[in-house]
Amino acid sequence: MTEDKSQHNGEGADAENIRVGVYICHCGGNISDTVEIERVVEAAAKMPSVVVARRNMFMCSDPGQSMIEEDIRTERLNRVVVGACSPSLHELTFRGVLTRAGINPYLFENANLREQVSWVSKGDPTGATDKAIRLVGAAVAKARLLRPLEPIRLEATPRVVVIGGGLTGLRCALDLARLDLDVTLLEEQPFLGGHLAELGQVYPSDKPAREILGELIREVSAHPRICILTSAEVIEASGCVGTFLLKVRAAGEMETQCFSAERIAADLASRAHGPNGDHHNDGAGTTELEIQAGMAVLATGFDHYTPSQGEYGYEEHPGIITLPALIRELESGGLGSGPPALNGRPINSIGFIHCVGSRELDGVHDQNGKTELNHYCSRVCCTSALWAAKQLQARYPDLQIYDFHKDIRTYGHGHEDIYEDTAKSGVIFCRFADTAPPKVTVTESDPPLMISLKDELTFNEEIDVPVDLVVLVTGMVPHAIDNLVDMLKLPRSADRFLQEVHPKLRPVEMAVNGVLIAGCCQAPLDSVESAAAASAAAAKAAALLGKGYIEREPFVARVDQALCNGTSACVEECKYNQAVSLVETAGGARKAQVNAAICCGCGMCAAVCPTGAIQVDGWRLDQFDAMIDALLVNY
Amino acid sequence: MTAGNSGRKPMILILATEACAYPGADNTGQIHAEYSTNAYVVRVPAPVQFNEEFYLRCFDKGIDGILVMTCGHECPYAGAYDRTAQRIGRVHELMKERGLDTRRLRICAICTVCSKAYLKEVKAMVELVSQEQAAAVGGS
Ligand SMILES: Cc1cc2nc3c(=O)[nH]c(=O)nc-3n(C[C@H](O)[C@H](O)[C@H](O)COP(=O)(O)OP(=O)(O)OC[C@H]3O[C@@H](n4cnc5c(N)ncnc54)[C@H](O)[C@@H]3O)c2cc1C
Repeated sequence: MTEDKSQHNGEGADAENIRVGVYICHCGGNISDTVEIERVVEAAAKMPSVVVARRNMFMCSDPGQSMIEEDIRTERLNRVVVGACSPSLHELTFRGVLTRAGINPYLFENANLREQVSWVSKGDPTGATDKAIRLVGAAVAKARLLRPLEPIRLEATPRVVVIGGGLTGLRCALDLARLDLDVTLLEEQPFLGGHLAELGQVYPSDKPAREILGELIREVSAHPRICILTSAEVIEASGCVGTFLLKVRAAGEMETQCFSAERIAADLASRAHGPNGDHHNDGAGTTELEIQAGMAVLATGFDHYTPSQGEYGYEEHPGIITLPALIRELESGGLGSGPPALNGRPINSIGFIHCVGSRELDGVHDQNGKTELNHYCSRVCCTSALWAAKQLQARYPDLQIYDFHKDIRTYGHGHEDIYEDTAKSGVIFCRFADTAPPKVTVTESDPPLMISLKDELTFNEEIDVPVDLVVLVTGMVPHAIDNLVDMLKLPRSADRFLQEVHPKLRPVEMAVNGVLIAGCCQAPLDSVESAAAASAAAAKAAALLGKGYIEREPFVARVDQALCNGTSACVEECKYNQAVSLVETAGGARKAQVNAAICCGCGMCAAVCPTGAIQVDGWRLDQFDAMIDALLVNY
Repeated sequence: MTAGNSGRKPMILILATEACAYPGADNTGQIHAEYSTNAYVVRVPAPVQFNEEFYLRCFDKGIDGILVMTCGHECPYAGAYDRTAQRIGRVHELMKERGLDTRRLRICAICTVCSKAYLKEVKAMVELVSQEQAAAVGGS
C-alpha cells in the first residue's frame, strides 16, 4: 500500500473515501454487565465515516475476527476500531486481522472499554456507557486520520558487541555465539570474570566461583565466533541499530584470544587478592580498532559500595571492614587455619551490620554529608552475609557471630535455608529500626569495638555488643560508565542503574534501539538472575538479528518537507545523535530529515517545530486534537 | 449529536504514557477499583510531544482538568521527562495570564502498578474541577 500524499496533514480524512468499521466486544459480560453495548453500537453508527457498527460476545474469538475480516472485504472498510479490552492484550491480534483481509495493519485503533471503563465503573452504568461512547468516538476520530505505515526495515550486521566480561557478559557472549552470531566481548580490565571472580564458594550451588567462571571462560575463549578484547575501552560510538560503529582502544592482541587453561587459572587465582588482582600483562602498547555490530549488550555490572570515612566507624579501626573484604580474607585464608585472627589480632566475635549503603532514608542517612542516597535494596547482601556467616561457623565453631539487621531479605530459591541454618547453629540476630541504625564505637577495652542499638526483637531493649570485628554488609552501586551513557544516550533510572523500557514487557531492552542490558548494570542481581538476564538478552538479540535485517514499529518522527522551514529547532531539541538532521534538498533549501533507524519516537521534536512539519507517525498532533474534539461530542 | 461542554459533567483528560501510566491505569481496572466516569485516558508515547498551545487548546475546547501522567524519572526517553516538566511550568504561566486556575493542569509520575497513586490523582482532580464548576454555576 502506498502513501497517499493528500493525507499528509490528516486533511485527507474527508478527501479519501474513509470507511470505518466499529466493533464492540461484550467480553463475555466483563464489559456488557456494566456498559450498555447496544447504546454504544447505535451511537457508533452515527459517527463520521462509520459504515458498519457491530458487536460480538468475544471480538478476539475466531467468529469475532472473521466478522471484521468479512466486513473489510464486503463493506470495503479501510479503517477498523475495536472497543474491547486494553490494547496491550489484542492490538496485535486485530492488526493481524487487517493484514489477513488485505489492508494495512496500522489502520486499526482500539478503544479500551474493559480495563478503563467497565471494570472501574461498576457503580455508574449510565456514566460508563456515556464514557464508552466518547472513547469509541475518540478512537473513530483518530482512525479517520490514520495512514498506512510500513515497519522500518534496517540492514543488520550479524555481530553483537558485548560490553563487560563479567558473568553476565560471558554468559551472553556464549549464548549469542551458539545462536550463530559473531560476538566481540569487550572488557576494560586485563582479565575476565568481573566481581564473581573475587568470591569463593558461592550460594546457591556452593561451587567455587572460580570453577563456574573457569568453565565459562574456557568455552568463551575457545569459541570461534567470539573475539575477546581485554583492557579495552570504548572511545567513540556512532551509528544505530543494525550498524553500530564503536571505536575501541585496547591493550595487547586484537585477534581472537584463546585463553590457555593456565592463564585462566592464574587470572582467576590472582583475583582473590582484590578487585584489581595481580594482573596479567597482555603485551605492550595500545591499539585502536573499529567494530561494527548490529546490536550492543551492556553488561557493565556494579561496584561495591564504599562507606565514607566514619560511616559506622569505617576506616577508624582496622577491625571495621566491609563484607567483600571479609570474603576476600576468607578466600585467601587470611583468618588463619587455627583460631581466627586478622592481622595478628585474635577474632572471637564478629558483628555483621546490614544495609550499609542500601535502603538509605532521607533524613537518616544523609547526616554525614552524603549527597546521593541509595534508596534501593541491593538484594544479594542479606544472603551473602549469612552465607559468609555460615562458612565462618563451619571453619571456626567457637566464633560468636551477631547479625544486626532491619530486615532479612533472603528472597531467592534456597536462600531461606541458609538463614535457617545460621540461626540454628548459633548466630544471634538483633533488629534495629529503619530510622535508628546501630552505632559503632572504638573503645579502649577488649574487644575493642562496640555496637549499640535498640533491639526490636527484645522489645527495644538498648544493648551494647562488644566485638572484635565489625563487618559492614555493603551493597552495590552501578559501575561508573558515564562515557558510554553520554555516547549512546542511555537512560538511567532514579537509582542510577541503567533503565529498561519496561520491567515486564521489555525487560532487557533500552529505549535506544538496538541496545540491550543484562546483569548488575540494570539492578542488583545475584549470579543466577544475572545469568538469566544474559540469556534473555542473547535470545532477544538473536531474534532481532537472525533474519539479517531488523524490523521496527514505524512509530518514528516524519518530516513534511513542504511545511519544514529548516529552522533546526528539532535538531537542537533532539537528544539522540543524528536522529534528525538538516539536509540540502534539490531546490537548495535546508530541510529536516529523520533517520528512522535512530529515532526513538518520543516526539520531543514535534513540540518545538514552529510549523508542525515534524510529527510522530501513528501519534500525530492532529490525531490527538481530533480525539479530544470527539471526546466532547454528545451522541 | 452536539459538541462543546456546557451544562454537563466536568471532563478530565488523562494523558498517560504508554510505558508506565497507561499500564498503571489498566492495573487499576484489573484490581476493579472504581473511579469517576469523567476521567478519559488517552495513550501517548511521551507527553513531551505536546506544545504549550495544545494544553491551552484543550481548555478552550472545554476540557476541565488535565492530568499528565508520566513515567517520571523512569522515563525511557532521554531528557523527555525534564522537558515535559519544564513545559508544564510554562503552560502554568500562560494559564495565569489567562486567568485559568493552574491546578487544572497537573503533572505526576505513575508506574505500571501505581493504582493507589493513580486513583488519588484522579480523585483530587475530579474534586477540584467539580468544585470549580459548582462555584461557576453558583456565581453566574
Ligand atoms: C558481596 C557480594 C557477594 C555476592 N555473593 C554472591 C553469591 O554468593 N552468589 C551469587 O549468585 N551472587 C553473588 N553476588 C552477586 C554477583 O556478584 C553478581 O550477580 C555478578 O557478579 C554480576 O555479574 P555482572 O557481569 O553483571 O557484573 P560484574 O561482576 O560487575 O562484571 C561486570 C564486568 O564489566 C566490566 N566493565 C564495566 N564497565 C565496562 C566498560 N565500560 N567497558 C568494558 N568493560 C566494562 C567490569 O570490569 C566487569 O568485569 C554477590 C555480590 C556481592 C556484592
